[in-house]
Amino acid sequence: MNGRRGLSAVASAIVCVCAAGAAFGGSWDERVFTSHLDFDAIAAAGPSALPALIERGRVLFKAKFTTEDGAGRPKATQAIIPTRRKIGVNPAFTRTSGPDSNSCFGCHNDPIEGGSGDVVANAFVSEGFESAQFDNTDPSFSSERHTIALTGAGLVELLGREMTADLRATRADAVAQARTSGAEVRADLVSKGVRFGFLVAHPDGVVDLDSVEGVDADLIVRPFSRKGVFTSLRQFTINALNAHHGMEAVERFGARWTGSHDFDESGVPDAVTAGDVSALVAFQATLPPPTVKADLPEDWRVAAATGAKQFASLGCTSCHIPALPLKSLVFTDPAPYDMAGTLRAGEVRKPIVIDLSQQPFAGRLAKNDQGEWLVPLFGDLKRHLIVDDQVNALGNELQAQRFVERDVFLTPRLWGVGSTAPYGHRGDFRMLDEIIAAHGGEARFSRDAYLALDKPTRDAVVAFLRSLVIEAP
Amino acid sequence: MRSLALVACFSFALAPAFADEARPRPLGDAPIFHEEAEAAGIDSVYDGPWEFFVGGGGAAFDCDGSGFPSVFLAGGKNRAKLYVNKSKAGGPLKFEEKPIDLGDPRLLDNVIGAYPIDIDGGGHMDLFVLRVGMNLLLKGGPDCSFTLANKEWGFDGDPGWTTSFAAEWEKGQKFPTFAIGHYVDRNAPGSPWGTCEDNSLYRPQPGDKPDYSVRTPLAPGFCALSMLFTDWNRSGTPSLRVSNDRQYYRGGEEQMWRIEPGKTPRLYGRADGWRHVSIFGMGIAEGDIDGSGYPQYALTSMGDTKLQQLDPDEGGRGEFPVYRDIAGELGATAHIPYAGGDKRPSTGWHSEFADFTNAGLLDLFISKGNLAQMPDFADYDPSNLLIGQWNGKFAEAGDLAGIDGKRTGRGALIADFNLDGMLDILQIDRGSNVALFRNLGALNDGGDPLPMGNWTEIRLVQPNPNRNAVGAHIAVKTGTRTQVRTIEIGGGDASGHSGWVHVGLGTAERAEIRVQWPDGEWSYPYRVFADQFVVLDRAKPQAEYWYPGR
Repeated sequence: MNGRRGLSAVASAIVCVCAAGAAFGGSWDERVFTSHLDFDAIAAAGPSALPALIERGRVLFKAKFTTEDGAGRPKATQAIIPTRRKIGVNPAFTRTSGPDSNSCFGCHNDPIEGGSGDVVANAFVSEGFESAQFDNTDPSFSSERHTIALTGAGLVELLGREMTADLRATRADAVAQARTSGAEVRADLVSKGVRFGFLVAHPDGVVDLDSVEGVDADLIVRPFSRKGVFTSLRQFTINALNAHHGMEAVERFGARWTGSHDFDESGVPDAVTAGDVSALVAFQATLPPPTVKADLPEDWRVAAATGAKQFASLGCTSCHIPALPLKSLVFTDPAPYDMAGTLRAGEVRKPIVIDLSQQPFAGRLAKNDQGEWLVPLFGDLKRHLIVDDQVNALGNELQAQRFVERDVFLTPRLWGVGSTAPYGHRGDFRMLDEIIAAHGGEARFSRDAYLALDKPTRDAVVAFLRSLVIEAP
Repeated sequence: MRSLALVACFSFALAPAFADEARPRPLGDAPIFHEEAEAAGIDSVYDGPWEFFVGGGGAAFDCDGSGFPSVFLAGGKNRAKLYVNKSKAGGPLKFEEKPIDLGDPRLLDNVIGAYPIDIDGGGHMDLFVLRVGMNLLLKGGPDCSFTLANKEWGFDGDPGWTTSFAAEWEKGQKFPTFAIGHYVDRNAPGSPWGTCEDNSLYRPQPGDKPDYSVRTPLAPGFCALSMLFTDWNRSGTPSLRVSNDRQYYRGGEEQMWRIEPGKTPRLYGRADGWRHVSIFGMGIAEGDIDGSGYPQYALTSMGDTKLQQLDPDEGGRGEFPVYRDIAGELGATAHIPYAGGDKRPSTGWHSEFADFTNAGLLDLFISKGNLAQMPDFADYDPSNLLIGQWNGKFAEAGDLAGIDGKRTGRGALIADFNLDGMLDILQIDRGSNVALFRNLGALNDGGDPLPMGNWTEIRLVQPNPNRNAVGAHIAVKTGTRTQVRTIEIGGGDASGHSGWVHVGLGTAERAEIRVQWPDGEWSYPYRVFADQFVVLDRAKPQAEYWYPGR
């Protein structure tokens, strides 16, 4: 930790600490980090610091990290666990195994900052352990992934947190009942109307998880990435900073977990502080959710209304659930279910609290009769098998990812789908009709029903989906 | 942020103290412990005359099916006691004494130590109790009950001055084989010098119930204070390491016996490559600190602690048991007190590798304590907590962690007593109540302790015989690293524990676990998430999770 100088790059509410490296050279300085944010100071400042924090996050999201910021990871891999290269040095950029970008915005730019990206911005995802460096797009080495829009991500994370709490409470109740009764207890895992199978608790405290579906065995709903393997925006951010930019966050790659302040030997110690990560989290968490396109032409409006009904009657909404209820819009950073290597609540004096109900977009969210906010994500935050023997175009990956099998994916959230073509986890499909037709596995019935419709009705479904857009705030 | 404050505190607040000591400090976390034996309800003193200068052990094991480890504590001249764990998950430690009714209460006097082992495969943990006199086989029953089973299991008690024990399931056997280590034969002419008793091997006799009616001597005996069956060369057939106290032997040394099923035990000798090492051997710990698959051994003594590693040049890949000492190069000699200013040699007893910070690296705990007013050895002799570092070395943190202080340590039980994912320490002190150190988390410059790294705790299950899979190797893979733990009964200073096998995972959120079962067969690759208790049943392809009931 470098000495604090009380610099304020954005606003006086945010306390900064100076960055290591060359001295500030002038107003043309190429560096992004001429100062770092202090987490505790931000948290202590409370709501007054949030606008500056979010703006700092926006700046960092668009920034092009430089060598003097610590970008590049000469001696480390893209792995989520600090992993050193066995031999050799990573080049500054490698399109496939990374670092493959020097800006978040490089991929998340369509149609707005934090949005999706074109196929040209696809990422090549690998675990980064044994085959850390590869210059090959063959799926034997990595899984190619289309950029996911981050709009509404704060709401999504909050949904994941509440669902995790529900599932874990169910588990705890079942374990307690089984111990008390001395008999096995079967408990259905249901949260916000989404069913995740069931578990069986035994009187000795053992829990049989064989019938748990669509969520990890620890019952943490991980709502981010195509496979649903990231718990929080914070975890995603730390992973992405390292994988794509070679910017290593202290809370994952610092001395506590590696014995080094410069694990990747970039020459810049402690390149990304917890406060810096929080700025990125705050920016992403407050990105407005997608919306429904305003001022539709009359023919589109009518078709979209018909399409919405068809979408439901086809059974699409069994996974692409139009809206999930959310009890609270209070987003705390750190998140409650992150593990070591991503900042945890017990590692800070107090969290940063972002009340999303104070964001302008909150006024657009409907409420149900229980006063819960309705998040119109068209998703279920659950993983599903999406291929079968006959329909397997989406089964084009060869690698499982973090225990998730290769042909199982998180239900894509369709809010904003009208703005995020091309479609599918790899962006293989140019048209909505094509991606619908590619649904197999658990979605096969709905897909077949869709294909059985006449052309105008199918067009109406497309009209409905095209009306779900990301618009500039 | 607290972690940054931690870095700062190391840089400034603690720098002067370390400068005096000129010793490396941990670069990562150091744990902070809270001593709470009395508050937890434990009042047990190991004490007594000469016979009880050594020993001072106990056993930690789940005796009531709660998953929480209870403790059986030797008392020497005082009566041994059983304390049932009543703690709540993550909370302060709480124990309640439960009397053991063996018919004759004197059987619980003169106890040196104990090891938990399910001898008959009955599903309740039994105890092998080391004594001055007749040793005891206590058959475990429901709700932490025990009955004396020496007669039922044909065991004569191998009377003597028993100071060490180890057990394994030899291939093809329904029941375990015992190795019993003795100290001085007090009745021999010239005692105590040069009068070490022979040790013993008890193999189960054929039948459907344990029968230990046949003793095989392990001679010569050199006053064995610690024994351990260890698969040192990954042959699948463990050998018996014996650490001996040179104080009383003549012509003795550290020993290793080749124990092959159905064959007479045979000592490894010079022709095998076994080298002469003579120490005041008091405790053996095994740990694979470098992930090589070939374990290292920490041997406590008076003065230097040895840290032995298979010599890559002369030992090959286990062709020959040639070991070299790497304690010095790894900063793990622990030869004098690291704090307090007393520069006389230390007296080390129990040693055990464990990950106290959940960093994913093995640390080394060594209990320390003057034998009994020995003026040539340190009087203030705090126990060591050598924290494993990412450069492969160790850094002392006993004082940072709060386990220093003027104590007379002997045996120790390292277990997660409150099932919070962090390892605690129960140190048995001679002449005073035990010290019960609850692990609170990572040191944080006076602030609330920080949460540590991720962890997993593992229980193996297989059908009888050997339902607890003693001898199994557990390989835990996170990223490119693999950590190995071995289920063992033996080692340390008359102290052993069973139950959850703790592995720190650092920042890994997931781990893949493979088990090499005692018969050599490899398991399914079990995929587990961090911060969970997992049950790996040999008959099931997926891990089951377990949750405490309180």
